[in-house]
Amino acid sequence: MFAVELDGIWKRFPGVVANAGATLRVRPGSVHAVLGENGAGKTTLMNVLAGGYLPDEGSVLLDGKPQHFTRPADAIAAGVGMVHQEFRLIPTFTVAENVVLGSGPWLLSKSAIETQVAELADRFHLATTPDREVWQLSMGERQRVEILKALWTDARVLILDEPTAVLTPPEADELGRITRSMADDGRCIIFISHKLDEVTSFCDEATVLRGGQTTAASLPVADLDAGRIAELMVGEATEVSQRRNRIEPVGDTVLDVSSVVVTDVRGRTVVNGVSLDVGAGEIVGIAGVAGNGQRPLADCIAGLTRTTSGRVTVDGNDITTDKPSARSAAGLAYVPEDRLGVGLAPRMTVTENTMMRSYRRLSKGPFIDRSAADAETDALIDTYNVKVGQKKSPIAALSGGNLQRLLVGREVETNPRVLVAAQPTRGLDVQGVAAIQQLLVDQAAAGIGILLISEDLAELFALSDRLLVMHEGRVVGTFDPDDATRADVGAAMAGVRQTATAGITVEGA
Amino acid sequence: MFGYRFVRRETPLWGGQLRAFLVGLLIALLAGAVLLVLAGHSPIDVYSKMFSSSLGSTRAISSTLGRAVPLGLAGLAVAVAGSMGMWNIGAEGQIIAGAIGGAWVARLFPDLAGPVLIPAMLLGAVAGGALLALGPAIVRSRLGVSEIITTLMLNEVAIRIVRYLVNGPWQDPASNNFPVAPILPEQSQLPTLFERANIGVLIAAVVLLGVGAFTARSRWGYELRIAGSSEQTAEYVGISLKQKVLTVLVLSGAIAGLAGGLELTGSADRLVEGVANGWGFAGIIVAALALLRPSGVAAVAVAFGAIQIGGLAIKTQGVPSSIANILQAMILFGALAAAVFGTHTLVRSTASTSVSSTTAAGADA
Amino acid sequence: MNETTLIGLVISILQFGTLLYLAALGETIAEKSGVLNLGVEGMMAMGGVIAFFVGVGTGNPWLALIAGAVAGAALALVHGLVSVVMGADQVVSGLALTILGLGLAAFIGRDLVSEPPGAQFSALDLGPLSDIPWVGPTMFSMTAVSWLALALGAIAAFFLTRTRVGLQLRAVGESAATADAGGTAVVKFRLVAVAIGGALAGMSGGYLTLSLAPGWSEGTTAGRGWIAVALVIFGAWKPGRVLIGSLLFGGLIALEPRLQTFGVEISPILLSMLPYVLTVAVLIAISIRSRNRPSVAPAAIGQAYRREER
Repeated sequence: MFAVELDGIWKRFPGVVANAGATLRVRPGSVHAVLGENGAGKTTLMNVLAGGYLPDEGSVLLDGKPQHFTRPADAIAAGVGMVHQEFRLIPTFTVAENVVLGSGPWLLSKSAIETQVAELADRFHLATTPDREVWQLSMGERQRVEILKALWTDARVLILDEPTAVLTPPEADELGRITRSMADDGRCIIFISHKLDEVTSFCDEATVLRGGQTTAASLPVADLDAGRIAELMVGEATEVSQRRNRIEPVGDTVLDVSSVVVTDVRGRTVVNGVSLDVGAGEIVGIAGVAGNGQRPLADCIAGLTRTTSGRVTVDGNDITTDKPSARSAAGLAYVPEDRLGVGLAPRMTVTENTMMRSYRRLSKGPFIDRSAADAETDALIDTYNVKVGQKKSPIAALSGGNLQRLLVGREVETNPRVLVAAQPTRGLDVQGVAAIQQLLVDQAAAGIGILLISEDLAELFALSDRLLVMHEGRVVGTFDPDDATRADVGAAMAGVRQTATAGITVEGA
Repeated sequence: MFGYRFVRRETPLWGGQLRAFLVGLLIALLAGAVLLVLAGHSPIDVYSKMFSSSLGSTRAISSTLGRAVPLGLAGLAVAVAGSMGMWNIGAEGQIIAGAIGGAWVARLFPDLAGPVLIPAMLLGAVAGGALLALGPAIVRSRLGVSEIITTLMLNEVAIRIVRYLVNGPWQDPASNNFPVAPILPEQSQLPTLFERANIGVLIAAVVLLGVGAFTARSRWGYELRIAGSSEQTAEYVGISLKQKVLTVLVLSGAIAGLAGGLELTGSADRLVEGVANGWGFAGIIVAALALLRPSGVAAVAVAFGAIQIGGLAIKTQGVPSSIANILQAMILFGALAAAVFGTHTLVRSTASTSVSSTTAAGADA
Repeated sequence: MNETTLIGLVISILQFGTLLYLAALGETIAEKSGVLNLGVEGMMAMGGVIAFFVGVGTGNPWLALIAGAVAGAALALVHGLVSVVMGADQVVSGLALTILGLGLAAFIGRDLVSEPPGAQFSALDLGPLSDIPWVGPTMFSMTAVSWLALALGAIAAFFLTRTRVGLQLRAVGESAATADAGGTAVVKFRLVAVAIGGALAGMSGGYLTLSLAPGWSEGTTAGRGWIAVALVIFGAWKPGRVLIGSLLFGGLIALEPRLQTFGVEISPILLSMLPYVLTVAVLIAISIRSRNRPSVAPAAIGQAYRREER
C-alpha cells in the first residue's frame, strides 16, 4: 500500500489546465522526487495534496484511505505538511514561536516551548536555535524552521517545493541528511525539483510530469540517466519548431555583459559571474528553469538591481553604474517580467503609460503636451495592434496580450540598440504569443540586438541565434539551435554537465 | 468568516463614486431620521429646515459656499498627499498654523492697505501651513517615518501653540481676559462676493482648479502619480521619490494653511483657538469621498458645507448641531460600504473556492 | 512645597494615568492584531456619555462602567465591519469613527450637561493600608477602576506573551497571510481585538465621567483619546511600557495646572505639548533603529487582508 496516492488529478484555472490526469504514488519511508520543467504542473499537484487546491477530478488517498481536504488545515490535520518556496514565517517571532503557532498547548512558557522544539529538532538531527528571531536566520536555517513546523504537527508526508533553490551546497547536503533520517523514521518525503543532481543524491524514486500529465511514474533513481530524464521533462528530441531566418553576419556588439556578479539582499550570490554578448540584429536566448538567476541578471542589466561586480556595456558605453533612465538614454530597452508591477502603472491610463519613456521629450515647459502624447499613443496602438477600449481608462483593463504589445511597442519606440525581454510571452494567448514573437523578430531584422529570456523552450528554439542556458547563476552552456536538441538543452537546464559536441559549447566550471 | 466571504465581481455592479456617495447619503439620512425620532423631533421638519437654510435661497447658498471653502481646501490638501499614497492627517493643525501665520503678518503690519495686507496675510498663512508640514515631510522622505502619526501629533501641538498665544502674548487687552486675539484691522477682511460669501470663495475655486489642472497636466503631476503607483516603476522611469515626498507634503500643508488664512480674512474677525473648527478632519472625509479627485472635492465640500450650515440653523429648533457631524460620518461609512458592495459580492465559502497563495500568480509549475 | 500639594499631584497622576492607560491598552490590543483604530477619541466620548447616562439612571457605578464599555465596543465594531470585514481603508474609517462618536455623544448628552452625577467611584477603602505615609493616601486610595486597569494590563501582557491564542493574535498583526495559512481565523481575531479596544476605550470614557471629572459636557475628552493613540507608539506596543508612558503623560497633564504652585515659570500650555513631541521623537528613534532590523510595530498594521482566490 502506498503512503500517498494521487489518481487522475485534474485541475483547471481560467485559461490553463495545470493538471491533466496526473498521478503519483509514493511508498512509505521513501524520498520521492517530482520532476518537471516550469508549467508542468508539479506545484499545482502538490498543492492539491496539501489541501491548497480542490481538484476538479481525481482522488487523493493517504495510506489507502480517500481524503477530502477543503483547506490546508485539513491536510495538516491528516498529516500532510508542505514547505513552500516562499517561506511562511513571521520574521519577528522566534523559531519556537513560529513552530508552535499552528498547534500546541494553550499556555506557553518561553522556556518550555523552546525546550520542546529543541527536543524535536534533536530527534531529527536538525540544527536549530529555538530562541532566535527568524529574521536573523539564514535561508537554510529558516527552511529548517519550516520543516520543524511540519514535524511539530507530526506530518507523515512532507512536501518540499524546490527546497535547494535557496540553499548553499553544504546546506543542501544537510537537507539531504535530514530528509533521509525522516524517511528512516517511516515518513515519506516528496521533493519537487528540476535539478537532476539533487534528485540522484537524495531521492529513491522519481515521477516526471510534463504538460500536466505524468510521463513517468516512480522510476527508481538508480535507473535514471540524464538524457532520459531530460527527454521526459522537455519532450522528444525530434520535435522540430519553425526557425526564423537568421541575419548573417551579425553586426557589432551592442550589449556586452562581463563577469557580472549580483548578490541579493540576504547576501546570496544569485548571478555568479555571467558573461555574454549580443550583436546587432542577433537574438540571444537564455533558457533555464525559473529561479536560476535570470531575473536578477535582467534587472541588473536594466539598472534596477545593483551590480556587485562586473561590467555592462551598451554600444561601447559603460553603463554599469547608471540609473535605469540613463541606460534607456544610452540605448537599452527593457521589457520586464513583472509587467504591471514595474513596466506599467496599473491605475493610470493608456496614454499615461505609453508616455513613460517619452514624456520629458513631450513636455513644453512644466506641462505635458497632451495632444502630442495622444498622437504618439495612437500611433503606437496602431503600429503594434493594441486593442484598447478607452484611452482614458486605467490600463489594468487591457488583456495580457495587449498590455504586452503596448509595453514592447513603447520600449521599441525609444529606438534602442539593444532590447532585453524577460518572459515576454508568459501568460499570453496564442495570438498574443505570435504577435510578440513577430515583433521581436522584426526588431532584430531592423538591427536591434535582443536578449530573450524565456521559460518556453519552443520559443527559444524558434527565435534564437544562440541559446545560452543558465543554472544556479551561471551560464552553463551555449547551444546552436540549429544543431542542438531539446534534450541536450533540457539536461543543461537540469544541471547536468555537458560534454562539448557539435553545437554545444561548454563554459568552464 | 461565518461561512461567507467577499469575492470580486466580474464586472462592477455600478460604476461611479457618485452612486456610492448617494447611497451613503441615503443611509445617513435614514440613520439620522431614526436618531431624531428617538429624540422627539420630526425628521421631515428638521431636514427641510436644514435644506432651506443651506440651499433654499441665494443667501443660504452663499453661506454654504463660505463653509465649503475651508472644507474644500482641506480636502484638496489631503487629496494632493493622497495621490502619492500618503495621508496628511494634520490638516487641522496646518489650518491653525496658517491662521497663526496670517495673524502674525497682521500684527506686524497693521497699517498696510487692504489690497496689500490681505495677500500678505494669505502668504503668511500658506507659509505657516507649509512650515508645520515640513517636519513630517522631512522625516518621511529621509527616514520613512509614517506621516500619519507625525502629522496627527502636530495637530495637537498647533492647537496648543495657538492656545498659548491667545492666552498669553497675543491676548487682546480689551477682551476682559478672554482667550482671544485682538480684532484684526478692518482692511484685512476680504470684500464680499455676494450675500454672505466673500471672494475667498473665488480664491478657493481658483486654487482647486489650478492645483487640479496642474497635477493633471504637468510633468510634476504625472511623475507624482507614477511615484504613487510603485517605487519600482518610479525608479524604472527615473523619478526621485524622496524629492516628491517632500514637496507633496509641504504643498499639502500649504494648501491647508491657506484655508486658515482665508478663514481669518473672512468669517473670523480675530484669531481664536477654535479657528480650524474640525475642518481639517472633515477634509479627510471629503477627500476620501471624492476619491482624491479635485473636482470631486469641490462637489463634496459644497455638500458638506450645506450639511454644516443646516446643522447650525436647526439649533434654534432645539436640535444639537452635532447632528451635522453625525450625518457626515454616516455618509462616509455608508459610502465605504456601498463602494465595497459595488465591487465585491458576498459569497458562501464552499469547498470549491480554494485557499490562499502567497506566491505570485503565474509562478507555479 | 508641602506634603498635601505633592500628594495631590500624585493622586492626579494616578487618575490621569488610569484614564490614559485604559484607552491606550485597548488600542494596543487592536493594533497588535494589525488594525489601526484612530477612533479612540470618539469611543471614549461615547463610553463617557453612556456611562454617565446609565449612572444617572441606575445609581450603580459598575453597571454604568460596563454600559460605557459596551457602547465603546459597539462603536468599534462599526469600524471593524467596514475596515476589517469589508476591507475599506482603516485610516479614513477610524477618523470617521472619531467624528461619529463625538457627534453622537454630543447628541445623546445634550440634556445631560448640567446633570449631577448619579453614580461615582469613590476611593477604595483598604483599611490600615491607607494609613501608610505617602503610599497610603495616594496609591492605596485609588478607586477600584484604577486597580482594574492594572489588572487588565497584567492580564493583557500575560495573554499576549504566554498563551497560544495571544501568539496567534500577534501573528495576525505581523503577517495575516502567514497566520491564515497556518489556520488562524484572521478576521475573527481582528474583530475581537477591535471590540476589546473599543470596550476599554469606552471604559476609559466612563472613568472620566464617573470619577475623574464627574459630569458630562461636550468636549470633556479634550484630546485625551489622541494621547492614547500616541501612547501605543510611545510604549512600543507593549502593555508594560504603555503603562509607564501613561503615568508619564498623565504626570504631564497633572502638572499643567500645578506648575505655578511648584514655582515653575513655564506656561503650562507649552508643557502640554510634550506628550506629542515626545511621541514623534520616539517614532523617529524607532525608525532609525529599524533600519537594520524589523520594526517593533506590528508589520501588518493598517493593511486590509483579503484571501486571494485561485
